[in-house]
Amino acid sequence: MKISKYPFAVLSAALFTVMLVTPITSISNLIWLSSVDMPVTFITSLEVILFDFQRLGFPLFAVFTIAFGIAFTVAGLLSRFTIYGGNNLFALAGAAAIGVALILMVELLFQTQLLGGNRSFIGKIFHWIAGFFGGYFFYNLISTERTYTFVVRFFGIFYAYVLLGLVLSWVFTPSAAAANFGFILTDLSDSAQNALLRDFTSFFVATFIFSILGVITLNPAWFFSAGIIYYGAALFNLIAIYAHGTSYNQIYVGEIILGTLPTLLALTIIYKKKSI
Amino acid sequence: MYLRVLLSLLFLPNFLLASYKYETIVDDLDDAWSMVFIDENTILFTELPGNLKIINLLDKSITNIANTPKVHYASQGGLSEVILDPEFKSNNKIYLSYSAKNKNNKSTLFLSSAELKDSTLENQKVIFEAVAPRRTSVHLGAKIAFMHDGTLLLNSGDGFDHREKAQYLDNHFGKIIRINTDGTVPQDNPFVNTAGSLPEIYSYGHRNMQGLIVTSSGDIYENEHGPKGGDEMNLIKPSLNYGWPAITYGIDYSGAVISPFTEKEGMEQPLLHWTPSIAPSDMVYYEDTLYPEFTGSFLVTALVSKDVKKVTFVNGADNQESLFSDLNERLRNIEVSPAGFIYLLTDGPGGKLIKVLPKE
Repeated sequence: MKISKYPFAVLSAALFTVMLVTPITSISNLIWLSSVDMPVTFITSLEVILFDFQRLGFPLFAVFTIAFGIAFTVAGLLSRFTIYGGNNLFALAGAAAIGVALILMVELLFQTQLLGGNRSFIGKIFHWIAGFFGGYFFYNLISTERTYTFVVRFFGIFYAYVLLGLVLSWVFTPSAAAANFGFILTDLSDSAQNALLRDFTSFFVATFIFSILGVITLNPAWFFSAGIIYYGAALFNLIAIYAHGTSYNQIYVGEIILGTLPTLLALTIIYKKKSI
Repeated sequence: MYLRVLLSLLFLPNFLLASYKYETIVDDLDDAWSMVFIDENTILFTELPGNLKIINLLDKSITNIANTPKVHYASQGGLSEVILDPEFKSNNKIYLSYSAKNKNNKSTLFLSSAELKDSTLENQKVIFEAVAPRRTSVHLGAKIAFMHDGTLLLNSGDGFDHREKAQYLDNHFGKIIRINTDGTVPQDNPFVNTAGSLPEIYSYGHRNMQGLIVTSSGDIYENEHGPKGGDEMNLIKPSLNYGWPAITYGIDYSGAVISPFTEKEGMEQPLLHWTPSIAPSDMVYYEDTLYPEFTGSFLVTALVSKDVKKVTFVNGADNQESLFSDLNERLRNIEVSPAGFIYLLTDGPGGKLIKVLPKE
């Protein structure tokens, strides 16, 4: 079955480019921290790179999606109506898109360079190169026929990307993560702290891994597993409110959303497999 | 009719909770930034676009002061702080901080002295130009305070795009500056004899400093904006490194990690930090008795939390209380009149000068 692959190719290329771009800021920052004798280790580096990929990556994903959407449309028109075309055209369009987007972010929005890695000339070059590879990746995605699995995989990866923020918070900054859920970690007993950290971390890491396994194997059971866990959280949230008298907590809305997306992916896989 | 009743019911809780009454002295101020009392009924205040004005609190008339410095009014820059010389009554001297273009057409922080005579500034002299040129006029700091020895302290912010320079002593980004009133450098400044360092530097490793005060006991306190989270209040000592951006409790506005570290030997910890940010804008240490509940407290105005934080420290631990939040205004500046009344300036165009009335 044919699908409209272009929008998902743009989204995928944007996410791919985010993955290339965010380490530029992370690494430039880590290099500077090392230069002033801060104790940068492998673990702290990993923490910075992963956090940046998730937290810095999110707004960049939106910016790059718009920039690529425009640039690749222009490149597509050029390849259709002129003699120019091929992967190099889209790669150049990707580089131009990132370059222009980052300039406009400064000139039109903030008047300051929000992206730490883009403050130096070499940093700017790396960003353009990342855009170049993003364009190349886009061309590869649209060059071959795509089926529904492409869409399922994109949404599965995006879902894991959203969960990654929670995973990183619980793994690297558990106090802050606990505070977001209403716990003051240091107020709890040692055993309560241990229980909280192991259970919450395990909860988010497990659902993250389920979604990654779902993307790799396209086995709906993995997506269903993630969905069941979040639907369960929403259900027991409501039971806690109405049966056990806890205060109202609207986080169940988020839990329903987090349960619905993988469930829909699982149902899509089952439906499509049946129709084939 | 029903709508009016409904609205009044909605606002009823605020009305009931209001502990203080306020008197709006004037409104429609144009980005008012700083004020200082000449006497109980006269306030000298600045507006960022470059206006220096006097307001008479008795008849609420406003007089424009002529011959003000040419400022670079853009973004966060413009005419910022005004303070009086301790001998103002005899010498009419005032000090102004502002952003202006340097000879290379870059924006930086300036400090000038001038004499206020008949609604005009005379004998203006630039006594300090920060070695902190920037393309965009942001993160200037610009608060001024007198130390008890008669020297001047000035906040010089990190310029946002130049944050790493706050850790190096060859520039004025992210520094507290100490100079004499004639612009010369006090010879007991901590880095006067340090090769490669600028002699005006008093402390370093700061971000976007706002409040700067010297208490009657001579202690220096400042507060500063962190990025997303990590606003700080610090006790300032000469030569110390306050850590920005190598250690911080905040993350970048973009979501990026600025530093995974919050402490390091040789870098000072804040007295307290606000995460999430409140955006502190100014501060006083209330030593009068007109509002006895505030005596011995720091009063910190805030832009984001739209209140004044009353801060006290007991055995090193901070105790905070939110005040005046029923005003629901971004608060830019706080001053105490000679008689001990608290006055507030609200932020932005259409700003107000508000007097807080003591509880009866």
